[in-house]
Amino acid sequence: MKSQYFAGVDIGSTMTKVVVMNQTTLASVIGPTGPEHRKLANRVMEEALAKARLSFDEITYVVATGYGRINVPFADKQITEISCHARGVGHLLPEVRTVIDIGGQDSKGIKLKEGRAVDFVMNDKCAAGTGRFLEVTAEGLGVSLEEMGRLSLEAENRVEISSICTVFAAQEVVAKLSEGVALPDIIAGLHEAIAIRIYGMVRRLKIEREVALTGGGAKNIGLVKALEAKLGFPVLVPPEPLLTGAIGAALLGKDIVQEAAEKGETLVRSERRLTEASIFT
Amino acid sequence: MPGEITGGGLTTVDKYYQDYGCRARELKKQGKQIIGYLCAFTPVEIITAAGFIPFRIKGDVNEPITKADTEMETIVCPLVRSCFDMALKGKYEFLDGLVVPHACDSICRTYDIWKYSLNLPYAHFINMPHGTGDASLEFYQEVLNTFRTSLAKFAGKEISDQALAEAIKLHNQNRARVKELYQLRKASPPLISGEELTKVLIAAMSLPVEESIEMLGGVIDEVKGRGALFAQKPARIMVIGAQVDDIAFIKLIEDSGAWVVADDLCPGAREFLASVDVTADPIAGLAERYLRKIKCGRTYREMTGNYEEYLEDRFGHMGRMIDDFGVDRVVLYIYKYCDPYGFEVPQIKSYIEAKGTPVLYLEDEYSMSTIGRLRTRIQAFLELLVK
Repeated sequence: MKSQYFAGVDIGSTMTKVVVMNQTTLASVIGPTGPEHRKLANRVMEEALAKARLSFDEITYVVATGYGRINVPFADKQITEISCHARGVGHLLPEVRTVIDIGGQDSKGIKLKEGRAVDFVMNDKCAAGTGRFLEVTAEGLGVSLEEMGRLSLEAENRVEISSICTVFAAQEVVAKLSEGVALPDIIAGLHEAIAIRIYGMVRRLKIEREVALTGGGAKNIGLVKALEAKLGFPVLVPPEPLLTGAIGAALLGKDIVQEAAEKGETLVRSERRLTEASIFT
Repeated sequence: MPGEITGGGLTTVDKYYQDYGCRARELKKQGKQIIGYLCAFTPVEIITAAGFIPFRIKGDVNEPITKADTEMETIVCPLVRSCFDMALKGKYEFLDGLVVPHACDSICRTYDIWKYSLNLPYAHFINMPHGTGDASLEFYQEVLNTFRTSLAKFAGKEISDQALAEAIKLHNQNRARVKELYQLRKASPPLISGEELTKVLIAAMSLPVEESIEMLGGVIDEVKGRGALFAQKPARIMVIGAQVDDIAFIKLIEDSGAWVVADDLCPGAREFLASVDVTADPIAGLAERYLRKIKCGRTYREMTGNYEEYLEDRFGHMGRMIDDFGVDRVVLYIYKYCDPYGFEVPQIKSYIEAKGTPVLYLEDEYSMSTIGRLRTRIQAFLELLVK
C-alpha cells in the first residue's frame, strides 16, 4: 500500500502552525499569523511540504483548526482547536487528563478521556488570562515576551497586579515602574495574575492529573511555575507546545481516513487546490 | 382578521419576522389601538379582552445599542436595553400604551424610565409577586384586578367576565396550535427546523391573537404537507435560556451540524406550553397560570422536599422534554446581567448533567459581534466525545 501522509494546519490568532505526518512528524513550520499569513495559509503549507519533500497531491487528508480554520480553502475538514489539542496531547502524553492551553487570544481548559475531549472551558471575550495580556504589558516594560519568563524567576518581592483587566493591569505596571519597583517583581506579578485567572477558570472542569500545558504560554517558564504553584503539583509540557493543535489536526485526519477505510467508504476530498483564501478578495 | 393573510404559512411568517411590527402598523392605520408589553408575564388575555391588540416589544441583535445607554446603566441586561433602544429609535411608534410586569429586576427597575421616555397615553406596571404560596396568589389576583380596572378606564368601557373568558379561550387556542407545532419537532429529522419555528413564534408575538391562530394553522398545514424535508444531522439540541427573539443563535447551532428540536425559551415552550384553566372567576385561572404554571427563573419556587425533589419541581419539565423530544445535548444560553437565569445556571446544569445529557453553558452579549466565539464553542461541544 502506498504510504499515507496527513497535514494539520492550525491558524491561531498570533501564530500559524503546520505539521506533515505519517507515523511520525515529518515536517513542521511555525510562523506569525499576521494579516498576510491569514490570507496565505497555502504558503505556510508549501513551506512544510518542501521540508517534508512531498507534493500536495501526496497528502491524503488535510485538517484545518484554530480560529482561522475557515481561511484554509485546501483543507478537507475543519475541526475546532478543542478537539485537536485534545487529540494531539493525548497522542504525545497519554497520561494527561487535563490540558491547559494558553494562546495569544484565548485560554482554555480541556478534559480528556481515552485521548479525546469530553469537556472544555474557554475564557470570555476579555484578554486577561491570555497571551495578549503579556504582550500588552511587555510593551510597557520594554522587555521582549521571550525574556519575561527568565526575568520573573529573579523576583524577590512579587507585586500584586489586577487579574481582571488587561488595560488596568498595563496602567498598574506603569505606576509600579514609576515607584521604582524592580522589573522581575513586576513580571512575576503579571504571571501570578494570569495564573489566578486561568486556574479559576479551569477549576470548573474538576482538574485531574496529569495536567499538560500547551500554547505560547507554556514556553514561559515564569508562567509555568506560577500555575504549578496554584495546582500544587508539576505540569507536563510537550516538546513543542505550539504544535499540539496541528499534530492533533493531522491525527484526526488520519482517524477519519482510517474510519472510512474500515467502513469501506470512499472519502470525498476537498476539490480545491493550494490557493489563497478567497473570502478576503 | 381572518382572510387577510395571503401567501401561505411560512411566507407570511417571514414577512412578519423580517419587518417586525408591520402588521401592527397597518392595524393602527385602521384605527386599532396597540398595547406594547415586555416579557411573557404580561397577561395578554386582559389586553385582548379590553379590545386592544397586545404587541410584544423585542430587541434587535443586529442593531448596536446607542440611544438607550444614555438613560439606562449598562448593568441592565442587554436584551432590555436593546428593546428600549429600539423604542427610542422609533421602531414602535405605533404604540398607544405600555404594560410592564415585575418580571426580572432589569425590567422592573426600568419601568419609570420607559414610562417617562415613551410618554404614551397609557402605561401600567403589574406588581407581580415572586413567591408561589397562597398569600402570593391572593395578592396577585388583586394585582390583576387592578390592571383590569386600570385598562378598562383607558378603554372607556368595562372588561366583562364574558369578554375575558372569550380572550382566554382564544389565547389558549393559540397555545394549542403552538403545542401542535412542537409535535412536528419530535420526528428525526424534525419536520420543522429550529430556525423556522423560532421565526414563527417571533412573528406570532406581533399579531392579534386571532391572526396568530390563523397563521399558525397555515404553518402546521404547510409543514405537514411538505413532509420530511430535512436531512439527518448527528445531534438533537435543546436550548434553554431567557428570551431569544432572533433566529441568529438558533441558525448558528443548526449550521454547525445539529437540529434544534426543543427549548425552554421565551418565546417558546416556557410561554406556550402552559394554558389557562377555565375558572368561574377568570382572573383566578389567569393568576394560577402566570404565577404557578409558567416555570421561569423570575419566580421563586419555595423549597419543598429534599434537594433532588426541589430540583425536580423546578426543572422536571426540562427533563421530560429531553426525553419526549429525543434531545441528546443541551445548550444553556444566558445573557450577561440576566439576574433570574444567571442564578439558575449551576442548578440547571447539574440537574441536566445528572440525567446524563451534556450541557454547554454560554454567556452572551445580545449582539451579533460575538458569533465567531460562539461558533467555536458550539462546534467543539458537538465534537466532544459523549461520556
